[in-house]
Amino acid sequence: MSLSLVLAISAGLFALGTMMFVVKKNLIAILMGVELLMNAAALNFMGFSYYSPAKGHPLDGQVFALFVILIAAAEAVVALGIAIAVYKEFGHVSADKLSQLEG
Amino acid sequence: MTQSVFFAIFSGLTLVTAGIVALNQNLIRAAFALFFCLFAVAGVYVTLGGDFVAMVQLMVYAGGVAILLTFGAMLTADVSQPSGSNLNFQGVWAMIGGVSFFSVLYYVLEETQWPLKGTNYLDPTTKELGKLLLKDYLLPFEVISFLLLIAMVGAVYLVLKGEQE
Repeated sequence: MSLSLVLAISAGLFALGTMMFVVKKNLIAILMGVELLMNAAALNFMGFSYYSPAKGHPLDGQVFALFVILIAAAEAVVALGIAIAVYKEFGHVSADKLSQLEG
Repeated sequence: MTQSVFFAIFSGLTLVTAGIVALNQNLIRAAFALFFCLFAVAGVYVTLGGDFVAMVQLMVYAGGVAILLTFGAMLTADVSQPSGSNLNFQGVWAMIGGVSFFSVLYYVLEETQWPLKGTNYLDPTTKELGKLLLKDYLLPFEVISFLLLIAMVGAVYLVLKGEQE
């Protein structure tokens, strides 16, 4: 295990998440992609915190990983609320059919 | 040695389950694969010396967000027709784009000289993280708690608004 390996895993997660975010049709699947992106970011923070800690502050990266996790939780809650409101309004959550702004 | 073995196991599990999330055509299966992916990322955190962050990851992500997304998939997708609920717009082009995007990222991270320092921190981190959160990062900590409150209120408002109309 090395820093490059951690970063490579994180880059893999990031690429998968980005592609899900771009190409998926279902809103919930897009949300899953965003969760993968957030995980990649937090994993990067953890990797740098372990392999290259700041002098005297070895845990700063872990604090930021915590913040990333909490922000991802808030984002998931709000986005899921939006998805359920969209489902109640239109009867589907297909991203390519949602073209009305004020339904 | 043990650390490397567990790191290999958990990182492999992470990548495989993330691939299932991205490629499986059934949204419910993708949601369950996402659960295992987040669990495996928590394992990777443990091998990187972050015991507290791994526990937070397990409780918030694997216990909260993954369950929430599973509920979302079951509430919104057509459960009687689960296959095809996770389709792509352009599968082949997405594959090509993802692989090339990953190649660019990998090239950058292999070419860069990262500053490595030898002191790997493997002590229990909870006490130190608590000190950091309540001393150095007090303001972001409070802002995050306020953000979580606003997100909760906003989610309830959004769902209720859909109900009234």
